[in-house]
Amino acid sequence: MSITAETAKEHAKDPAVLCCRAEAGVTIEAANLEDPAIFDDLVDSNLLNLDGALTIEQVIGATLTKTCDSLTPLTADVLEGIQAVAAPAVEEAPAEEVPAPEAPAVPPVAPVAPHAPCAGGVLKIHIGEGKDIDIEMPMGFNHGAAMAEVPAQVVPVAAPVAEAELEPKVIRSVSRKHYKITEVRRGPETKIEGTVLYIREGIEEEAVASQELVHSLKIDIITPEQYHTYSETIMDVQPIATKEGEDEVGTGTTRVLDGVVVMVTGTDDNGVQIGEFGSSEGYLDENIMWGRPGAPEKGEIFIKTEVVIKEGTNMERPGPLAAHSATDVITQEIREALKSVEDDSLVVDTETFEQVRRPGKKKVVIVKEIMGQGAMHDNLILPIEPVGVLGARPNVDLGNVPVMVSPLEVLDGCIHALTCIGPASKEMSRHYWREPLVLEALHDEEVDLCGVLFVGSPQINAEKFYVSKRVGMMVEALDVDGAFVTTEGFGNNHIDFASHIEQIGMRGISVVGMSFCAVQGALVVGNKYMTHMVDNNKSESGIENEVLACNTLCHEDAIRALAMLKAAMAEEEVAKPEKKWNPNVKATNVELISKTMDKTIELVANEQSLPMSQKRKEKYD
Amino acid sequence: MKYGDKIIYMEGVIVEIHDGCVGIDLKGRLGYLKIPMRMLITDYPLVVGQEVGWNMSFVEQLGPEANEKYVSNLDTYQRRQEEMKSRKDDK
Repeated sequence: MSITAETAKEHAKDPAVLCCRAEAGVTIEAANLEDPAIFDDLVDSNLLNLDGALTIEQVIGATLTKTCDSLTPLTADVLEGIQAVAAPAVEEAPAEEVPAPEAPAVPPVAPVAPHAPCAGGVLKIHIGEGKDIDIEMPMGFNHGAAMAEVPAQVVPVAAPVAEAELEPKVIRSVSRKHYKITEVRRGPETKIEGTVLYIREGIEEEAVASQELVHSLKIDIITPEQYHTYSETIMDVQPIATKEGEDEVGTGTTRVLDGVVVMVTGTDDNGVQIGEFGSSEGYLDENIMWGRPGAPEKGEIFIKTEVVIKEGTNMERPGPLAAHSATDVITQEIREALKSVEDDSLVVDTETFEQVRRPGKKKVVIVKEIMGQGAMHDNLILPIEPVGVLGARPNVDLGNVPVMVSPLEVLDGCIHALTCIGPASKEMSRHYWREPLVLEALHDEEVDLCGVLFVGSPQINAEKFYVSKRVGMMVEALDVDGAFVTTEGFGNNHIDFASHIEQIGMRGISVVGMSFCAVQGALVVGNKYMTHMVDNNKSESGIENEVLACNTLCHEDAIRALAMLKAAMAEEEVAKPEKKWNPNVKATNVELISKTMDKTIELVANEQSLPMSQKRKEKYD
Repeated sequence: MKYGDKIIYMEGVIVEIHDGCVGIDLKGRLGYLKIPMRMLITDYPLVVGQEVGWNMSFVEQLGPEANEKYVSNLDTYQRRQEEMKSRKDDK
């Protein structure tokens, strides 16, 4: 199919190929050329060979000297009057993302060639024909001072809003008091004595009685020596935390137990896993990616409930919710015990999180898409206690519409995740408690994080677009410069994920998308605004590897996304994605960022670090 | 995969709808598929009897070995089901 003059301009540097037969003597124009978007497939299947092909900008206006068939690449020997094009500058490093360096990082600029236009806060330096480098970097978009380093011949720019530096403002803060637990025992009452947590004998019956659908509940206390035991599929991992006094989630003081987590597991009466499909049942130590934000740390004690719910309810909404609610009866009693601890000497550490607004900096928002298709694809929003059940609203009942929360509410357990399928990519309750992107954006002094917008992912497309339009309107009203859109897992949630990005992007706001994609989670739809993407994959082969939390958003992804959003807001070009998933793109970018920021970014391990039977190894990787 | 690029258009009928998944009978008695909701793209409200279509290829073995992890999980699952069944029968 021929292309328009506009498309030809966009693809000026792409190879020129005839879209249909053209007679000798014809003057080549856009209408004679094929759309370069389809070339990859043709080259792959050997239908097209682009060797020696001229670029579109070279051939437009040239005359064909020989009659050629369709899909003939235009080379110098069939054309007359080829357009001379300025010697192409040395290509930029094929980076998916170019990080925003600190202002003083400006390299020596002596050999600056004729033009070095400064626009929109971006300094472009072209080094003529040299075989060295072509540097393009955002000039610390908020420090007008950085411009001083620009060489004299550069046209002075209207210094980007060099207003008086506005002071950062602390809006609210949350303190976390950590209590260390080294042993969990059963006893006559639930209490904390020193570093020992006692859980009342017989509490199981009350937990069962609290939920009609729950038929039995067993508590296992798993110590590190017992990691190699069989477990039903892990539905959730939760921190045990409570608010002090009248404090609400997101403000005041939170008490949290260190060294112990609650783990929800279960089946229905027929032994069918709750949360079928790619379950993580099996030996705990082979199925948990330790240390992921949502997963347990190695060395922690698990208070693991094994809930049995009424047969056939494992795939209906009330089933998984009942399993979570029954478990919360136990957690709630531990919270009460934690509340009543009076001995302050048991506090081993106090952390304070401040929500800082940074007026004058680039304003950004995090849009987190959470599952809302029903059953275990649901999340309880804003419980009274951190990661509790009471007082929370299921996001499905809220109609999946966007809900704005503060970054501190996220870190203080405002999401109780029922978590979906795909153990490797699901974000469990603990994930939000340690959400790396929120932490990273909150602490970054170059951006002004205004809030976190949770939006559910409904099942039906019409509803998906309904909610994503609301996201667009809300983000527009926020007047932000940039936005992150994250999602967990893959499937039809990628439809609204793409739509959120479109709704934000079409309003002229820079947007970075984050999802597990790689091989198995390849995006099902796309649009022209999906240019800045970060893949959360960690697995060796790019698949859902059934290892809990392996492919979830980690610190390293947050760093990449933040660097990318900064680059996007500074109107940096981002290299096009490769046709197929290539893990090297991530490696290159991480290297670039750590070089520019002069700090080592430690990458997390993947499933290869776990004990694994030889056979599984052969099959998967 | 040896035959991965042999993609075939398949059709089926939705025979079960749950909050979290749907069951699909492949037309021509070619099998049954149970998929989580999020792997189904729905332009209309779901109703039993709706026809669905998708592309798939033949299913190939990846190798001759059985994966012990899955064998052991399957054993546990079957043993558990029997235990639960006998517990129910006792009631």
